[in-house]
Amino acid sequence: MAGTGTAHLRDADDIVLRVEGLVVEFPVGRTGLTVQAVSGISLDVRRGETLGLVGESGCGKSTTGKLLMQLLRPTAGSVRFDGVELTTLSGEALRRARTRMQMIFQDPISSLNPRRTVRDVVLEPLRIWKRGTAAEQSAKVDALLAEVGIDPARAAESRAHQFSGGQCQRISIARSLVLDPTLLICDEPVSALDVSVQAQVINLLEDLKAAHGLTLLFIAHDLAVVKNISDRVAVMYLGKLCEVGDCATLYRAPAHPYTRLLLDSIPIPDPAAPDVPVTADGEPPSPVLPPSGCRFHPRCPAATELCATTEPTMRPVGDDQFVACHHPLVAGLT
Amino acid sequence: MTVLRRLRRAGGWFAATWLVALVGLAVTAPWLPFVRAADEKVRVGGKLQSRYRLGPGRHALFGVDNSGFDIFARCIHYARNSLLVGVSATVIGLLVGGALGVAAGYFRGWVDRIVSVVIDCILSIPALVLAIVLVSRLDDIRQELPGLGWVTRRWQVVAALSLLAVAPLARIVRAQTLALREREFVLAARSLGATSRRVIATEILPNLVPTMVTVASTGLGLLIAAEGTLAFLGVGLGESWGYLIEANRRRLDKAWWATVFPCLMLFVTVMAFNLLGDRLSRRFDVREVIT
Amino acid sequence: MTRPRPLQTAGRPAEGPLIELTDVRTHFATERGLVRAVDGVTLTIQRGRAVGLVGESGSGKTVLSRSIMGLLPRRGVVRSGSIRFEGTELIDAPRSTLRSLWGREMAMVFQDPMTSLNPLMRVGEQIAEPLRIHLGQSRAEARDTTIRLLTEVRIPSPAERLRQYPYELSGGMRQRVMIAIALACGPTALLADEPTTALDVTVQAQILALLSEERRERNMTLVLVTHDLGVVARHTDEVAVMYGGKVVERAPTAALFRRTRMPYTEALMRSIPTVDDPPHTRLAAIPGRPPDLVEPPPGCRFAARCAYARERCHAEEPSLVASSDDPDHHYACWYPVGTVEPVALRPADPAAVG
Repeated sequence: MAGTGTAHLRDADDIVLRVEGLVVEFPVGRTGLTVQAVSGISLDVRRGETLGLVGESGCGKSTTGKLLMQLLRPTAGSVRFDGVELTTLSGEALRRARTRMQMIFQDPISSLNPRRTVRDVVLEPLRIWKRGTAAEQSAKVDALLAEVGIDPARAAESRAHQFSGGQCQRISIARSLVLDPTLLICDEPVSALDVSVQAQVINLLEDLKAAHGLTLLFIAHDLAVVKNISDRVAVMYLGKLCEVGDCATLYRAPAHPYTRLLLDSIPIPDPAAPDVPVTADGEPPSPVLPPSGCRFHPRCPAATELCATTEPTMRPVGDDQFVACHHPLVAGLT
Repeated sequence: MTVLRRLRRAGGWFAATWLVALVGLAVTAPWLPFVRAADEKVRVGGKLQSRYRLGPGRHALFGVDNSGFDIFARCIHYARNSLLVGVSATVIGLLVGGALGVAAGYFRGWVDRIVSVVIDCILSIPALVLAIVLVSRLDDIRQELPGLGWVTRRWQVVAALSLLAVAPLARIVRAQTLALREREFVLAARSLGATSRRVIATEILPNLVPTMVTVASTGLGLLIAAEGTLAFLGVGLGESWGYLIEANRRRLDKAWWATVFPCLMLFVTVMAFNLLGDRLSRRFDVREVIT
Repeated sequence: MTRPRPLQTAGRPAEGPLIELTDVRTHFATERGLVRAVDGVTLTIQRGRAVGLVGESGSGKTVLSRSIMGLLPRRGVVRSGSIRFEGTELIDAPRSTLRSLWGREMAMVFQDPMTSLNPLMRVGEQIAEPLRIHLGQSRAEARDTTIRLLTEVRIPSPAERLRQYPYELSGGMRQRVMIAIALACGPTALLADEPTTALDVTVQAQILALLSEERRERNMTLVLVTHDLGVVARHTDEVAVMYGGKVVERAPTAALFRRTRMPYTEALMRSIPTVDDPPHTRLAAIPGRPPDLVEPPPGCRFAARCAYARERCHAEEPSLVASSDDPDHHYACWYPVGTVEPVALRPADPAAVG
């Protein structure tokens, strides 16, 4: 990618979410031009797995999350969730299909309606679908609030602004679990939080994942956070995928020069650590006029003529590691 | 800071007191012993006090006009029309403008395009010219078409003024809705399966109310002033503050009270609505940040 | 790209204290009461050093840096203590004194380069403005200096950038422009408040490298305010960790990371996920949340969340003292790391989660 291709997609029975060739275009002002914020993404997530989607701002990772939820409709591509194609659904059918897929957003306070008590906010999904009696609804909401560490009594009388950022994020998580979803899409859920609170929320997500049998798609820019929570990781650059693979393998031996750059850029909290020379300069270009060939080639230290003209496609470089690069950082493959 | 806050609070109280007193007086005027009927001429010792003979004083609080009518009594009686027209036009403006704005902002696409063009058209015509043309045209239509007899001058003015209120309200509500619909709590409600109607009713509208109330209370003052202007230009109601100002302004040199007091009533009322709007906007300001 | 030598750095004493803070308190009057955002900070910053000011939101790090700069509003802010810059008292200094220092003696880089730049002014004019005001340069001189500065902060084709507006630049380029503006008059001290928090990780590395390079070449004092221990580890000489409006640990950077004494610093380090740990490593989260700065608890402000806390910690407030084995290492703790066994915290009160 950054290229296209589907070599990394798996052929298993327990695939919960399968995305192929996802594209979305937005018009640019009134210029008549369009920008492809997401430009041919293919992904799959197995039941019970956590897929980390990592990339810098503007790479299209949050847009991808919204496309999966159908909060934005893709221009092209397919999103199959639990065996149902979501992109062709609309109205009642879509509303029903996507209750089993929920989303948590980055801004914890903006995620909650400022004019309602947070208990009402968590209760809302049950009211929408008229699930259970009022007493059953109450019991479920109180149990979930307690599970995420929020006092139900306080939730009944307080609104979002009376809670801290971390508490608001816990409330959002409770709301997303009320309808017993299979898949939880977490869009930068901890990046607005302080580090000490961030750890609490990550631990909470891990606990809830185990307790509720969840499958997670974890979107973030922080590589360390993504590594901590993911089983499998996909790296995005400028609307395309660079590399997909098993979490431990990908961090140990990144095959794409961009993944390498990301890893080398992380500030290490150790003054004695050896200096890693930064291998690339510059910043991601605008997606309005993306570079030809591999989108990363202008910043890539290993780029050749080929990279400027031909877009690489996904190919395997090891056990469950796939890269879209003409010159991957793996011995024997060029 | 505290001085400013205290002033603001005082302003709010003043505005509320003034408006309550004004409405109370206007409604109960026919039964109040100290308010003359609107068409009762002032007599002192049996002598008709016409031709601005009486200034403000014991017999007539705000003095009398050319025909000997009590300016104070007329200010109070005519407040009914001024307030009624202003409130009706505002309510219509809120309902129609609010609905158009929400629809345009939430559904976007062609709905938005149509609404936006209409708003832009209305806003591009000078408001006063539009109102004058509208009132006079409605007069003609009423005479030509049967069954429209109830569209009296009062409702014509209301119709003209609400058109003036619809456009800016629709525009503000549209902008707010556009911003709200991208907020995470709206996205969350959509992904939880809420229908558009439910999203609008439970997520968007409650967050629009503060803006609408604030804009409406400020706008109400403007509409009352606009009605005054229409009356002043001779296309308004015959019985309003604007009419009083228009009828007496030529004698400002000889009898200032006949012009100045209705002007003051108009001015203080408009200011009261503005102060109230300011107060309400602060009141509704739910803090969304942690302190 | 060849980088020109920085401007005016000669004739400055190379060593000695530059910024001396003594019991600095900055309190904000709010409807809830007095918020003790900075509550008694004593700290000396030496010339030419890079000092990290680390803390989470609400720790007082940003308020402290703005107090040093004199950037806080006059009304509603109660300040006391002493802030001396090259011997000049700043705490109640008139605006004119501060103005004479801004730019030439101390300059600041903010977190968000988009909101700190004037969107309606060309980049070139924004850099030239302080040059013309403070240094009295002519239009042509200022233009030359501006190009030189842009080259210095590694902005490609600087002559063309002069005519661009901030929105035409990427986030990293904007932050480079901010740095160029801050450096324009050759300040003695540069205060950078979360300079890389709004930037992507690859750009963050570039900006931090640039700041360090400038500091070395100009023999400038750098105060790096950040929440990220990773950022200070490689780019500072010493670090002051803040919690609840106070400095709770201060040490040379290497010593702080090698032998952390204050339990808060240790807990902060342990709660950060690292890329070296295998996936699904349980994070050592700090329970609870920071103290209420309107009514701070008696005793140590971290006691309620501390795994080492004893009776005394809840009653008596520890002061910042030098370590017995390292006079440069200061901490404010009765039972520093390694002296007592951690105890299990009381089961967290549900209302106390962060």
